[in-house]
Amino acid sequence: MKKSLIIFSLLFAAACNKLEEDPNSIVTASQFYKTQSDAISAVAAVYSTLNTDAAGDFVIYGRNLNLLTGNGSDDQIFSPSNTNTDVRALGTATYVPANDRIKKNWQQHYFGISRANLAIDNIPNINFDTTLRARLVREAKFIRGLLYFNIVRLWGDAPLVLHDPTSTDVNAQKIKRSPKDSVYAQIIADLNEATLLPKTYTGADIGRVTSGAAHAILAKVYLTRREWAKAATELQAVINGGYGYALFDDFLDVFQQATKNGKEHIFSVQFGTNLGARNSTNSLSVCNFGSFNPAVYPGDQPSDSSLYQLFASFDTRRDVTFFTQLYNSATGKYVQFGEPRFAKFIDYSISPLTNQNISGINFPVIRYADVLLMQAEVLNEINGPTAEAYAAINQVRARAKISNLTAGLSQADFRDAVFLERRKEFIQEGNRWFDLSRRGGTYLYDALKKYPLKTGAAVKDTLYPIPQSEIDINNELTQNPGW
Amino acid sequence: MKKVLLLISLTLGLAPVTSYAQTVNEPVINSTLTGIVVDSKSQTPLIGALVRIKGTTNQVLTDNKGKFFFKTGQKLPYVLEAAYIGYKKQEIEASTSPLTISLVENESQLNEVVVVGYGTQRKSDLTGAVASVNKSLLSQPAASFDNLLQGSVPGINVTQSSGAPGATATIRVRGGNSISFGNAPLYVIDGFIIYNNNDNVNTSASNGVGVNALSTINPSDIESIEILKDASATAIYGSRGANGVVVITTKRGKRGRDEVSYSTYFGQQQVRKKLDLLNASQWASLINDVNESTGSTKTYSDSAIAALGAGTDWQSAALRKGPIQNHELSVSGGDDKSRYLISGNYFNQDGIVVNTGFKRYAGRINYERNIGDRLKVTANIFGSQSIENKLYGNAYNSINFQSTAFANLLQVSPVVPVYNADGTYYTASPYSSVPTNPIQDFKSTINRTYIRRILGNASAEYKILKDLTLKVTGGTDLINTKQNYYSPSYAGSPGGSSTGYSSQGYASVGSIAASTWINENTLTWDHTFNDKHFLNVLAGYTTQHQDDQSAVASAQKFPNDLTTFNNLNYAGTAVLSTSDAHESSLNSYLARASYSYNHTYNVTISLRADGSSKLGKNNRWGYFPSLGLSWNAGRESFFRPASEIVNDLKLRASVGRTGNSEVPPYSSLAALSPSNYYFNGTLVTGIAPTQIANPDLKWETTTQYNVGVDAGFFNNRITFTFDAYYKKTTDLLLNVPFPLYSGYSSVLQNVGSVENKGIELSLSSDNIKNSAFSWKTTAVFAANRNKILSLGQGTDYYFPLAPTGYVSPVIVKVGLPVGSFWGYNTAGLLTAADVSKGVPYLTGVSQQVGDTKYVDTNGDGAISTADKHYLGSAQPKFTFGLSNTLAYKGFDLSLFFQGSYGNKLFNFLQQKLEIPTLSLNASATLLDRYSASNPNGKVAKATNAPVAQVTDRYVEDGSYVKLKTLSLGYTIPRNVIRQLHISQLRVYVTAQNIWTWTKYTGLDPEVNFFDSDNTKQGIDYGAYPSTKGFLAGLSLTF
Repeated sequence: MKKSLIIFSLLFAAACNKLEEDPNSIVTASQFYKTQSDAISAVAAVYSTLNTDAAGDFVIYGRNLNLLTGNGSDDQIFSPSNTNTDVRALGTATYVPANDRIKKNWQQHYFGISRANLAIDNIPNINFDTTLRARLVREAKFIRGLLYFNIVRLWGDAPLVLHDPTSTDVNAQKIKRSPKDSVYAQIIADLNEATLLPKTYTGADIGRVTSGAAHAILAKVYLTRREWAKAATELQAVINGGYGYALFDDFLDVFQQATKNGKEHIFSVQFGTNLGARNSTNSLSVCNFGSFNPAVYPGDQPSDSSLYQLFASFDTRRDVTFFTQLYNSATGKYVQFGEPRFAKFIDYSISPLTNQNISGINFPVIRYADVLLMQAEVLNEINGPTAEAYAAINQVRARAKISNLTAGLSQADFRDAVFLERRKEFIQEGNRWFDLSRRGGTYLYDALKKYPLKTGAAVKDTLYPIPQSEIDINNELTQNPGW
Repeated sequence: MKKVLLLISLTLGLAPVTSYAQTVNEPVINSTLTGIVVDSKSQTPLIGALVRIKGTTNQVLTDNKGKFFFKTGQKLPYVLEAAYIGYKKQEIEASTSPLTISLVENESQLNEVVVVGYGTQRKSDLTGAVASVNKSLLSQPAASFDNLLQGSVPGINVTQSSGAPGATATIRVRGGNSISFGNAPLYVIDGFIIYNNNDNVNTSASNGVGVNALSTINPSDIESIEILKDASATAIYGSRGANGVVVITTKRGKRGRDEVSYSTYFGQQQVRKKLDLLNASQWASLINDVNESTGSTKTYSDSAIAALGAGTDWQSAALRKGPIQNHELSVSGGDDKSRYLISGNYFNQDGIVVNTGFKRYAGRINYERNIGDRLKVTANIFGSQSIENKLYGNAYNSINFQSTAFANLLQVSPVVPVYNADGTYYTASPYSSVPTNPIQDFKSTINRTYIRRILGNASAEYKILKDLTLKVTGGTDLINTKQNYYSPSYAGSPGGSSTGYSSQGYASVGSIAASTWINENTLTWDHTFNDKHFLNVLAGYTTQHQDDQSAVASAQKFPNDLTTFNNLNYAGTAVLSTSDAHESSLNSYLARASYSYNHTYNVTISLRADGSSKLGKNNRWGYFPSLGLSWNAGRESFFRPASEIVNDLKLRASVGRTGNSEVPPYSSLAALSPSNYYFNGTLVTGIAPTQIANPDLKWETTTQYNVGVDAGFFNNRITFTFDAYYKKTTDLLLNVPFPLYSGYSSVLQNVGSVENKGIELSLSSDNIKNSAFSWKTTAVFAANRNKILSLGQGTDYYFPLAPTGYVSPVIVKVGLPVGSFWGYNTAGLLTAADVSKGVPYLTGVSQQVGDTKYVDTNGDGAISTADKHYLGSAQPKFTFGLSNTLAYKGFDLSLFFQGSYGNKLFNFLQQKLEIPTLSLNASATLLDRYSASNPNGKVAKATNAPVAQVTDRYVEDGSYVKLKTLSLGYTIPRNVIRQLHISQLRVYVTAQNIWTWTKYTGLDPEVNFFDSDNTKQGIDYGAYPSTKGFLAGLSLTF
């Protein structure tokens, strides 16, 4: 009997569990932002928001932004095989503030900004190599500036969030939209800071933000704000800054795996094939082509055949941008697809070609052709169509193997010629809607209403509506005019 | 429903009705008789027992010493009848005086001992709502015991997620309290507490629907199941009692005799229903119509359509008949010191879809021994290995579902053949992006789960004093799961983010080891004062620790398909491996006092304090009190005259608080997550916060009120239980939507509240009971109403995350039940008259005559999302079960009906199958599509991939009645088998699911794609088809 009593008392003594959590499978905030490698990881997390969605959705660059800037423009409509109402609505100018894709873009942009805020606030407190420390903060500032630049162009006035929330109290997060000018001031400050970044990187750092990228985006910011002189200064910094940027001879090389991060690429979002990674596939590839069955439309379609007809038959951009037939290596035959479809982001290095969901094409955020066309536009705005302005646009045309722009155009005609050139050059590259909306007035509306499927367009479409759910949570947010 | 009501009234009508006149005749004295009525065990006198001379109205009650006295005109001998509440009625031939009548205590329902939290209680003294599962239901063949709970007791609702072998089920006791977390009941197996977490048996290595951890338990080991429902019964489980408690007791040996039992059954299952799809020529003409709608030329000429004929029936190509078998061998016995049971089980079920199935090997040892007079030791050890082959599909717990294998198969074009002329698989379908064949995919893809589980607990009980017992229990539950997945280089089944074909063979292996250990120490004082005051006091301390560790490794690009998942070294490219680990602890103090005055007035109070590591550091401890009262009115002297009719009547009332803390570990911490980026092809790990710290995170609290009545009629030939309850859950653990510009989409907070209220009824009747024939009916009925009262300040509704590209069919909204469907009303198709009248069209979609006509619910002249409204909820208005058992001589027959009424289902599969495209097959309902030649068609005209909206067309009535089992058995008479040394031999045949009534047009109304997600109940995204089948079995005991 005594023995059992001893056992009992032993058991009593054994029973005590501590209730403090000491997780060994997750990193918690108090453990992080301590070392150089923490800082590097914090910034990699910022980059990853450009090509990863936390919930496994499509990503900003390579798909979701394209729904607003491509489908929302006069270039594209939805895929006839796509049953997503919200995607279709964006292609037909019938979207509403509750549109899920608009909300997702908003969410993804602010998610990237939130991570940039964390890096910018926390890295300076870490004690390590000051050069690297400054560089990492500047990279994060570039991405914050880039994302706010998208936001301010898509939605206008916007909540300006620069620090991570410190509590779970919803009321503490309620803020008003900041005026566009304050948002731009922040963007310019961030990008200016980023112009102090290195000019180039080597090895495993290639793909990071360079000072050239900061100057180029900054130029676009000033261009959008019609601050032509400032834009010209930034463009000079890119063109004559010793970066060695140039156009590829072959337009196709802009969108191929083998020529990634080449001389024309100023800043690209990095994708890869079979890296053992998750969510690192450029979805636009899948959205353009997925099978040799012409009855199936995997992705968005040109708004109508007039887009294809903008191109001269000898314009090398045409057959890089569109396909009407494709070679099926399994059958050894060409398959005819009828009406032209988008081809730019098809990864031709994939076999079989239908297997585009492992595509590894980078998405070019800004490339040298954009800089040249901005140069043409800015010079024309300052001094009219000067020879220097002509030289810039003709450089882009020459690469496309088309003749020089007609000489002697008026300032207005030259402006329109540059916009047309931009349209042809950047189909599916996230520029068209921005180009239409920055002209202001009814320019976007006039462009959209020409298309029978976009007759629902209105002047209010020059800004996207603030997502309804955001207004529901925070009654301090106002809706854009007309919505 | 009428039938059911009719049956219930019939059973009531058939019940024996007897009554006795209350007057006593003036006697002519021929004999005097004195006697005493005593309890057979204790020999204590029974006061107020009724004694009557049989066949007369001459009756007396025993006095306060248990004595009675007759002066009568009748001569001795004569027959006396003696009756006392709680005791068996007895007839004695009286020939001499004085006479002692000893009555045996009735083992009737109200006097049984039932297992409650941390002990047992006489059913008569219970204050809580506790329901026992009918033994005849428990003996039915089933793969997993949760299948047996459906319709067994009122208030428990079980929904199978699909018909797959070993599939998970959603179990709710009295509705769901929580919105985001933990609505499943707590399981207590032989005193060992288990919160069933299917995450512990699923890794991301395997894909498709989850594996059910409960299916690892051998259902034949179970002796009894009690469901604890109200706070008086569950508050002793404190923070984990809010969702009800399922108390399972396994079989033990009986004293005095060793027994060897063997039982087995064999059977075959087949698909219960197939969907009507288009055949090849019907599909070809649909394609022509779609082409016509876009102005394209016809793909098929009339002669080509005729030549196509029926084409391929892909559904049938993947289905087969699935044999099922079960073997069970047990040895049990005991003597005055020990009892033991050793059992082994083998269960094997082949799925009705090729290459699927479930197998289980299980063994158990239960042992207990008295050491001396004061010490008793007990050990219960259970081990099993379960193997499940399941269909591949989307990743486990993934929001996206597009690649659910069976749903995809239904959409394969019927013009595509399964085989080439030479018998090889046809892989040249122009509608597939990779050259694969779905049937080949089904057969060649390996998607296998092994679960090895050991559940053991040992306890020692020591009587410190005669009525003071110390009990110490230690137990552990070890679950080791290994999952293997291989998609060969020629298969279209998913591998990583693409297919086995595109990744040149994709292998994944995952393992997860989950363990729980518990130590419980209780002290019980069970004392009776003056034979009238029964006091039972329990106090204890328990501690529990859980941890799980998992790892998944995957690789692709295999040079051949020979080694499959077995050797990842053969792969060309490794995919990022993952591992994970969690730990959590729960410390608790508990106390309960039950007092009964003469088994008539009963009170139970309990209190438990729980400290959980998973909650915020400021609110780790929660306190959960309860109070229960009951009154056995039937024992009152004033009730005695009615006792011949109503022999038992008990009224119960209880109130108490229980909790829920089933959030994952580390939910209150500021957690950071990895997300990677590739600079020039080189991976750099990104780390950033994904969760804001919430140090105030605390319990979800449910306050529950319950009133109940238990009644027994005609000496318990009819028993009846009624309960009404109201539950309010506050401080919900809710992922509250957060402004997206903060960088976070939601934060976990304690806000909002939900109510559940309802009634429960169960009725059991021995309609006929004599030596040759018996017929027993049990009916259960429950109605629960669930409503969201609040979602926190400023939030009125939110939509749960829908799969990418789809609109959420469900809404979480104040004033509606959790899991409400939200969409448009439709009114047939647009007619030419509508168009000329200018009825509003759906915003953003060009609509024409023959398209779906949406209803402008809010009358604003436009069809927009503002016109969406509540289309019903997945929560049933009521559920019921009806079982009938008949026995005649050696034959027994049982029928068990079960049903649900008023629940809606969102038939997403049908919505998908009614979208005409140029590449996928569609539902046969499209044969009645509107067209120039069929202007009265009911289904919208064919266009290419029209936008599908959530409409009332696809929110269907999910009510059903099923004849779940029909079983006929015969027990061979003992004299026939005695020579063979067999003490019992029964043979039987059982039909399962052979009859179903439902209006639901999908495969089966018992479907629940997102099984554990409370906000997405009742969604049918295309599940594994359900089965019906026949079994034949025998059980014999030596």
